[in-house]
Amino acid sequence: MNPFISIMLLSTLILSTMIVTISSHWLFAWIGLEMNMMAIIPIMMKKPTPRATEASTKYFLTQATASALLMLAIIINLMYSSQWTIMKLFNPTASILMTMALAIKLGLAPFHFWVPEVTQGIPLTTGLILLTWQKLAPISILYQISPSINLHLMVTMSFLSILIGGWGGLNQTQLRKIMAYSSIAHMGWMTTILLYNPSLTMLNLLIYIIMTFTMFTLLAQNSTTTTLLLSQTWNTMPIMTTFTMLTLLSMGGLPPLTGFMPKWMIIQELTKNESLLLPTLMAITALLNLYFYMRLAYSTALTLFPSTNNMKMKWQFYPTKQMTLLPTAIVLSTMLLPLTPMFFILL
Amino acid sequence: MLKFIIPTIMLMPLTWLSKNNFIWVNTTTHSLLISFTSLLLLNQFNDNSLNYSLTFFSDSLSAPLLMLTMWLLPLTLMASQSHLTKEPLTRKKLYITMLITLQTLLIMTFTATELIMFYITFESTLIPTLIIITRWGNQPERLNAGLYFLFYTLMGSLPLLVALTYLQNTLGSLNFLLLQYWAQPLPISWSNTLMWLAYMMAFLVKMPLYGLHLWLPKAHVEAPIAGSMVLAAVLLKLGGYGMLRITSILSPMTEHMAHPFLVLSLWGMIMTSSICLRQTDLKSLIAYSSVSHMALVITAALIQTPWSYMGATALMIAHGLTSSMLFCLANSNYERTHSRTMILARGLQIFLPLMTTWWLLACLANLALPPTINLIGELLVITSTFSWSNLTIILMAMNILITALYSLYMLITTQRGKHSHHINNLTPSFTREHTLMALHIIPLLLLSLNPKIILGFLY
Repeated sequence: MNPFISIMLLSTLILSTMIVTISSHWLFAWIGLEMNMMAIIPIMMKKPTPRATEASTKYFLTQATASALLMLAIIINLMYSSQWTIMKLFNPTASILMTMALAIKLGLAPFHFWVPEVTQGIPLTTGLILLTWQKLAPISILYQISPSINLHLMVTMSFLSILIGGWGGLNQTQLRKIMAYSSIAHMGWMTTILLYNPSLTMLNLLIYIIMTFTMFTLLAQNSTTTTLLLSQTWNTMPIMTTFTMLTLLSMGGLPPLTGFMPKWMIIQELTKNESLLLPTLMAITALLNLYFYMRLAYSTALTLFPSTNNMKMKWQFYPTKQMTLLPTAIVLSTMLLPLTPMFFILL
Repeated sequence: MLKFIIPTIMLMPLTWLSKNNFIWVNTTTHSLLISFTSLLLLNQFNDNSLNYSLTFFSDSLSAPLLMLTMWLLPLTLMASQSHLTKEPLTRKKLYITMLITLQTLLIMTFTATELIMFYITFESTLIPTLIIITRWGNQPERLNAGLYFLFYTLMGSLPLLVALTYLQNTLGSLNFLLLQYWAQPLPISWSNTLMWLAYMMAFLVKMPLYGLHLWLPKAHVEAPIAGSMVLAAVLLKLGGYGMLRITSILSPMTEHMAHPFLVLSLWGMIMTSSICLRQTDLKSLIAYSSVSHMALVITAALIQTPWSYMGATALMIAHGLTSSMLFCLANSNYERTHSRTMILARGLQIFLPLMTTWWLLACLANLALPPTINLIGELLVITSTFSWSNLTIILMAMNILITALYSLYMLITTQRGKHSHHINNLTPSFTREHTLMALHIIPLLLLSLNPKIILGFLY
């Protein structure tokens, strides 16, 4: 892509999220979300294949619907509170509509259908932007309206997300779809705790972004998009197999890796609020997620996948792709658990 | 407690920076030296515990288990030397690193004060064990074995996390030393039933209880020798240790809730012993015998009498050493014939007579011959279950009988009788193997001279 256009699109993307997070007027937040959508559509169409077109179209349609619903919720809120400040909403209808609009934007169940298909149609690095950066803006709005969100709606949507994120990923071999279902499940965890302690949503989002960034960067090193290709990393970059396995186990939430921290904190916060069955069910459903991560870890690091002899005799070149921040990200996504008290105080 | 943890962690740089042909020597020697320092923990007060810091402590229950864990690391390293000779150097060092990581986490588990710290390190032991089983096991069944192991344990322990968090919110702290005095009696209600299950399921799966034991034969059989040894000797005892600790805060609910699990473990004890009589796979036989012995420990932990706690602790230590020794013996067979089928390597007394001595001692220890500590554990458990209910004596007697039967069956099949014709070119036993067996059986026999130290905190 022409560098000027690339700079323009990326800076619009960053600017739009910043507009959403720092604005105090509902109209500006809405404008930021629209800019966000507009900026990422050309980035998704970098290679104009029919699959990318399909992905961009689906993304545009869902996000535009969500923005329209969001505007409706803003206007209803305006009607009942006569002010445009971003704070808790003053009408239950507005609250429900806005929650659903933001759920569509985030990809929470039952509005999750676009996430796997859009993530599959776009290149790996764009998928990274879609699953990490694009979540910042809607979650910042959710954080700000959290006192007025309907509890039943939120908990239903998040528990459904965890279930669907777990079950949907079981039958996948395409890595981008697996990451999409992982994103749906993690969004479910994040929004569960939104009404009890929004700081933990932020903590979970931070850790999730670090882990997803690590995972995508590891995948992008070899441009692996299927499990089959992932099983051949032992040949080209053996150390990546260890890191991939550790990151996958961390995403599954196994102690002593970082991914355990948000789950533990969320369970602690939920039990403080006297709900014991919900965190138990959430934790057990997260095991479904762990199952397909384990399958990937098996094929990558722990076993030798069946492959032809040609595949086993590749040249091991020096890596030419830039490993931006990869060592930092790997360390952060596997070794951060002892620093839990720091995060708890920070946020 | 850092005097154990830091040297154990530092074994890792020792592995990676040693000269190529010194990695085994260095790690085995240094881990042996570290295990000798754990003997300091033997100086236990009767009704108090040694508090080293806010995070670590050791009392008469965790000290023997800690000594067992630390004693086992040099033994696992010695046992793994032979099957790793053909591997490249980096993979050997990785294997040793996995064992050392597992050891560090086990030390932290047995000495943790705060129950959440116990939980985190308890769960963390899963990852190195999974890697050892899946990466270095020998058969394709190991993939399934790793998954069963991971998911059975996690399924049981996630409710434990929720229950421990709830306990912290109610009582204010999960420091075990305070918990013993602060714990409120748990009244009998439906929600407290679920709470009791949440606490206990993790340990019951780990022990394992008879209905939840499906992961154990798979994991023990498919693991390489170090994995089998550490699984049988220590990881099962994590469950027992957890149960003995957590039942102290769960009364009087336990008397109400324990009945189904008591029945399951009593029945399972006999079932798994009987299955041992019909096994063709040597490692599978030893794995099922582990389930049977651990069922006794579960029974003892659930009755909650002083004698039963003493019996449970003694049985755990005794079984740790015996079962690990049996796995080493089975592995010495496996390395020669590359098959776990018992009937393929019969009549070995003629070819490897000194190994027969170790086989004899291990099988006699397994069937709880006096005066070994196996007998002391079983006797205490049998008498305490008899006082709980007179009818259990029938089941216990049947179990002793069947245990004796399969132990002698294992001994006679592998050692005595006419040898099979194809094994006349077995390599003689290595000194390393004899050392391994001696280092297993000598603590076992010495402990029968002073079993007081392994009788736990109610002695």
